[in-house]
Amino acid sequence: MRQKLFKMLMLLCFSYASGQNIEISGNVQDNSGFPIPGVNVIVKNTTKGAVTDFDGNFTIVDVPTGSILVFSYIGYVTKEVTVNNSDKLTVTMEEDLAKLDEVVVIGYGAQKKKEVTGAVSVVSSETIEALKPTRVEQALQGQVAGVNITSQSGSPGGNTTISIRGVSTNGDSRPLILVDGNVIEDLSVINPNDIASVNVLKDATAGIYGVRAANGVILITTKTGRKEQPLTIEYDMYVGFQETTRKIPVLNASEYGALVNEAFAAGGETPPFSDLSQLGVGTDWQDEVFEKAPIINHGITFKGGNEKSTYAFNSSFITQDGIVGGSKSNFTRFTQRASYNVDLLDNLKFTSGLFLTRSSKRNLVESALGSVLFNALNMAPTIPVIDEEGRFTIAEGLGNEVINPIAQTVNTNDLTKTLRLSGNAGLGYTFLDHFTAQANIQFNYSEVDGYVYRPIQNYGSGKVFNVDRSEVVERLDYYRDYTFDAFVKYENSFNDTHNVKALLGTSVFRTKGVFTGLRGFDVDTTAPNIDNADEVEDINQARGFDPRFDSRLLSYFTRLQYDYKGKYLFSAVIRRDGSTKFGPENRFGYFPSGSIGWVASDEDFLSGSNTLNFLKLRASYGILGNDRIRDFGFISLLNGEGTYVFNNELAFGLGTGAVSNPEIRWEKQKTLNIGFDMRLFNNKVDITADYFQKRTEDLLVVPQVSGLLGVGAPGASAPTVNAGIVDNKGIEFAIGYSDNISDDFKFSIKYNVTAIQNEVISVSGDGDFIAGGSFGVGQDPPARMEAGFPIGYFRGFKTNGIYQNQAQVDASPTINDRVQPGDLIFVDTDGDGDIDDDDRVNIGDPIPDATMGLNISFDYKGFDFAAYAFASVGNEIVRNYERNQNLTNRPRYFLDRWTGEGSTNSDPRVTTGANSNILFSDYFVEDGSFIRLQNIQLGYTFGEEVFENSKISKLRLYVTASNLFTLTEYRGYDPTASSGDPIGGGIDQGFYPNPKTFLFGLNLKL
Amino acid sequence: MKNIYNKNILLILLALMLSCSDDFIEVASQDENSEEFFNSEADYQKALIGAYDLLQSTYLNVMLGEIASDNTLAGGESATDVPGIQEVDDMVHTPLNAQLRDIWNWMFAGVNRANFILEFQDKTDFSGKEGVIAQARFLRAYYYFELVKWFGDVPLAVDKRIQFGEQFSLERTSKGQIYAQMEEDLVFASANLPYVQNETGRITKGAAQALLGKVYLYQEKFSEAATVLEDLINNGPYALLTDYSTMFENDNENNIESVFEVQYTDKEGAGFGCLQCSEGNVAVGFNGIRNYSGPVFDSGFSFNVPTQEVVDAFEEGDIRLDTAILDIDAWAEANNASFSTGYEHTGYFNRKYIARKGDLNTGDANLTNPNNYRAIRFADVLLMAAEALNRGGISDTRALTYLNRVRTRATLDALDVTGTELTNAIYQERRVELVGEGHRFFDLVRTGRAAQEINGFVAGKHEVFPIPLIEIELAGNIWEQNPGY
Repeated sequence: MRQKLFKMLMLLCFSYASGQNIEISGNVQDNSGFPIPGVNVIVKNTTKGAVTDFDGNFTIVDVPTGSILVFSYIGYVTKEVTVNNSDKLTVTMEEDLAKLDEVVVIGYGAQKKKEVTGAVSVVSSETIEALKPTRVEQALQGQVAGVNITSQSGSPGGNTTISIRGVSTNGDSRPLILVDGNVIEDLSVINPNDIASVNVLKDATAGIYGVRAANGVILITTKTGRKEQPLTIEYDMYVGFQETTRKIPVLNASEYGALVNEAFAAGGETPPFSDLSQLGVGTDWQDEVFEKAPIINHGITFKGGNEKSTYAFNSSFITQDGIVGGSKSNFTRFTQRASYNVDLLDNLKFTSGLFLTRSSKRNLVESALGSVLFNALNMAPTIPVIDEEGRFTIAEGLGNEVINPIAQTVNTNDLTKTLRLSGNAGLGYTFLDHFTAQANIQFNYSEVDGYVYRPIQNYGSGKVFNVDRSEVVERLDYYRDYTFDAFVKYENSFNDTHNVKALLGTSVFRTKGVFTGLRGFDVDTTAPNIDNADEVEDINQARGFDPRFDSRLLSYFTRLQYDYKGKYLFSAVIRRDGSTKFGPENRFGYFPSGSIGWVASDEDFLSGSNTLNFLKLRASYGILGNDRIRDFGFISLLNGEGTYVFNNELAFGLGTGAVSNPEIRWEKQKTLNIGFDMRLFNNKVDITADYFQKRTEDLLVVPQVSGLLGVGAPGASAPTVNAGIVDNKGIEFAIGYSDNISDDFKFSIKYNVTAIQNEVISVSGDGDFIAGGSFGVGQDPPARMEAGFPIGYFRGFKTNGIYQNQAQVDASPTINDRVQPGDLIFVDTDGDGDIDDDDRVNIGDPIPDATMGLNISFDYKGFDFAAYAFASVGNEIVRNYERNQNLTNRPRYFLDRWTGEGSTNSDPRVTTGANSNILFSDYFVEDGSFIRLQNIQLGYTFGEEVFENSKISKLRLYVTASNLFTLTEYRGYDPTASSGDPIGGGIDQGFYPNPKTFLFGLNLKL
Repeated sequence: MKNIYNKNILLILLALMLSCSDDFIEVASQDENSEEFFNSEADYQKALIGAYDLLQSTYLNVMLGEIASDNTLAGGESATDVPGIQEVDDMVHTPLNAQLRDIWNWMFAGVNRANFILEFQDKTDFSGKEGVIAQARFLRAYYYFELVKWFGDVPLAVDKRIQFGEQFSLERTSKGQIYAQMEEDLVFASANLPYVQNETGRITKGAAQALLGKVYLYQEKFSEAATVLEDLINNGPYALLTDYSTMFENDNENNIESVFEVQYTDKEGAGFGCLQCSEGNVAVGFNGIRNYSGPVFDSGFSFNVPTQEVVDAFEEGDIRLDTAILDIDAWAEANNASFSTGYEHTGYFNRKYIARKGDLNTGDANLTNPNNYRAIRFADVLLMAAEALNRGGISDTRALTYLNRVRTRATLDALDVTGTELTNAIYQERRVELVGEGHRFFDLVRTGRAAQEINGFVAGKHEVFPIPLIEIELAGNIWEQNPGY
């Protein structure tokens, strides 16, 4: 009783002492003095509080003196201030560099980064803004461990290949990409500036997407306005130019003439150039082909919000010519995007977004035998671009593929236009305190309009590109799809110790499309379109196939998350998918996954440490699926070609297309990830490391099958079967250091490395393989997927120098009896005394052993600087841009050819006679390792003080250079050359190089 | 009130969640399912056209058959231009040969397409169905005949497609059994087809009889061969074309001498990615003159170049020489034309089947030449009948008559020989009459003369080609390779 009384007295005393209530007002600012609207200000341990207005001001009445005000805002460190008097407060909130509360999108929801138990990487909008990519993918390369981006071409708008944690299939290995929940396969339609964050789900975390998760999942969220934010207008622009990173040294006319003469003489033929002194330097075809190409980009964003709603509107324009072909490879894109979110009721929220893209891309022949660059390299320097009569010269005697590349460019009329409308709308409803129900609909509609006109053209007799009859093709393809998601979430905390989250939902996806196209001949040259053509035929309908597709997915999923005091974390997911890709018996698949985490730094024995600020250990395991295969592989359809000729007219019949496999089922990937996240030294050093193992079983492949099945018929193809196992194992390690050295000087450096080991364990039974890619003309496919080797390894002869004399030739097995001194020595690897197919071995593979990225940035006063380098180590590349015809030009290294005993042991002789030196061997395989300065940027920001009397709040000017230099031993244009194909990638046929780009730009904020 | 509102929203959301049942993913294909086809005459006709389609891919059999013989060399651009063709020319081909695999695959594709119709032959009735079935059976026989000529014993499928999964357990069927099936098919076809069809290009009774005669002759069933071939000679609507020089021109296709002709057109484009998809005669572009510029002819890839030996095989005064063989140097000089020389340049081209000007040149123009392949000519029928009558000891008189009809048309003197001398005269006549048409190699093999005529030919080995190694493996690795390979 006494004690109780005492307590009451104490309480009275306390309240007397501090019991004076006052009105508190103040202003909340960020580091640079800008007001922060929308900050929550709460009197600690009460419900009393306020939200800052547009100017960062707040007022709370009736606050006891001595109270603690808690200021919180996403992205900033929560701050507590004790109030003792009613003086106006100025509170500066620090940005949360440690990003403890950073939110990671994990599919059908988000999670605090601290609590994430999977391997999820995030690329923020800051990174994207710093890199100024024209495509989103460029912002991912080297930024995120485990994600490898290769461009299939350096041409404007050129496609890229994204692979997450290695290549596990020879089929379609693209990850699932969702933009605000909407399936977007082609990222070229997205304006990178619209992106708020890119989240990459690399491990079993992706399991929430079930049958589509095996190649990884990329979740992109777009920018929206902020509540209580006044209208801000941002204008971004840059202009600049691009140029080629290098030219391949080739022979000039005199050197060429001498070499050709030597080759003819060696072949026993009359040398064609009788007077070498006349030849001079000749035409530098690469100079003729390459040009400086402009690039221009503008973007404007309006965004803001009031207490119940937010909005954003963005419009952008980019146009870019190509370094090859200039306007003939132009890419132009307009985007418009609007988003609007509103709280209809306190517990009912509506979100919406709409974006419209129009783009056009002009296409040249690229990365193939007969591409513009291939021709520029092989065209004879003795031939001028135009002859005396002002006509383009023809390339007689240079083989059937090599033609005048300038004439080729001028005659190419190939335009693809895309119109795309995408949208999403969602309703979120909170009820019974702990439940949220959400329904979202997302859709895409696109029209792809292709136009190709081939005028009559003679490039020389027998050239495969000659056009004797003008032709125009006009295509119009329509695609539409929608995704509907509905789910309920439950979230509760018991005793502040047991935190439970549960998710239950369903998703349906449907995609369909129609292809239409007309082809006509003998086109009117003044207006070359289908209306002015003869013999117009419908490309798709003529054979009686239905050029439509419709594929669907029906899914149910659930996720349970539990943590004990935020310290012990558990998560489990199961998803059931039904896919139209599989037959009735295998239509449904169940995909379970789970993960655990332990925030060790929250344990008592680690908590007070100044050195170790944060440590989390995590592990995940799951079974993911892949259904990226053709539709209806489980039944035999009559969509092959069956065309014959009766009465001298085409007669259209039917034949079976792909051979059916009723047993076909989804590919299963078992994926294990173990990793940790650690922050050290006052959160200045940040480390993330992961080890992963992925085993892909029941691999969906299209293997070679027996001809007995009729696969050789026109339009027929092999069935898709589940046959094969591929392993990918690797480590990812990322370390970052960032520090505010002084108020004026901030510094950060980040490094990441990924090492992946790929091995094919089996392909449809023992001893089988799948071959792909092409080398030279008429040679066997050089790349293979075969048990015991990395996927897509190069198979060819091993060489061991050059035969120096006849005795050496006579003493060794040779491929045929035409081998002479000066030819490559093919190694008899199986030692059977014969050089034959069995001697072909693994001579490299296009998969890098390791890739790494390095970012350095610092801010000093108004200056900001960033540099970013990317490196790839241990990938091989095949040099396949030399046509090797009697009269084609050659690279300069031919000057070091074998000319007699002892002259060289590396490059073979030249001759027009039959020889086997052009057979695929390691002579054509080069080390493709490189390090590239991907981007370097210097900017200066004028602070508010400069614009005191104007509406401008910020102006930043910058200069940036991309792809400034590359260190590599590879002799071709670009060591990143690859078609991106799992089998047959890494073969350089005259790759359109990624250009070097110089930009000047500004960011203006009102 | 608000509660009711809330409940309604909740109900709507729940309804949305459950609105989709598994039926959602029951989608019917937009294309015809092969298991549910053959519901009308039109369906049968469409499938039949599909089975005809593979005839066009026999361009390779014709070209490679010629190159394998002593008539022509591989040629091309260089020693490594299409290695598979070069190897066959030199008789050094191995079980790794892309072109032999194409022949294997394409002919089995034809077999499968013909068997697709026959598998469902009883499904739907309509008038004139026997004619459709007869054409399908002819096609099956035609494709199997090619397979047997090239590879000997091969798996036989009758009236059913070979489906995925079955390919691992099919044994090779003996040549004799396959011949028996061909005979049955061709007897049925000749009984159920008319001599004249409404559409040119359709298989006729004459084609079926001629192929049947050929099948008998290959088995040395001389009396059966003679019977059916003489029936055709006496009752069929065919005759020798008076002017041999017009035989292979595009404006003289499906002429009176053509008993069976594979139809090609230039009306559709083609590419190297799918040669069997071309509606044109791919061999014609391959055989064409390299980098040619001048009148009458178009350029090509200079494969399949005739040897001096075959030129010399023509008798003095044989008008067929200038139609069969183009002496390019003489031609270039006379017509101010230019060309370049390819590998193994002999100065001669296979004039019957090289690219000519005047077609549409639909791209790739090298692959879309419209020249029909005169697969079985009446001259061939006469010479086969003569051979059967002579070698079967039936009637040298009638044999000589048929031989002399062919010789007379060539403005050569009629012969008067019998016995072995007659046999050799018939062989010689076959060579010069049919040079460039893909028959020589198989004629030499079936008459046992290959080893003496073809350089590098090993008796007991090269009579048949190796089964592509990969095809043995893909079919369960249960077959033995042909001897010697």
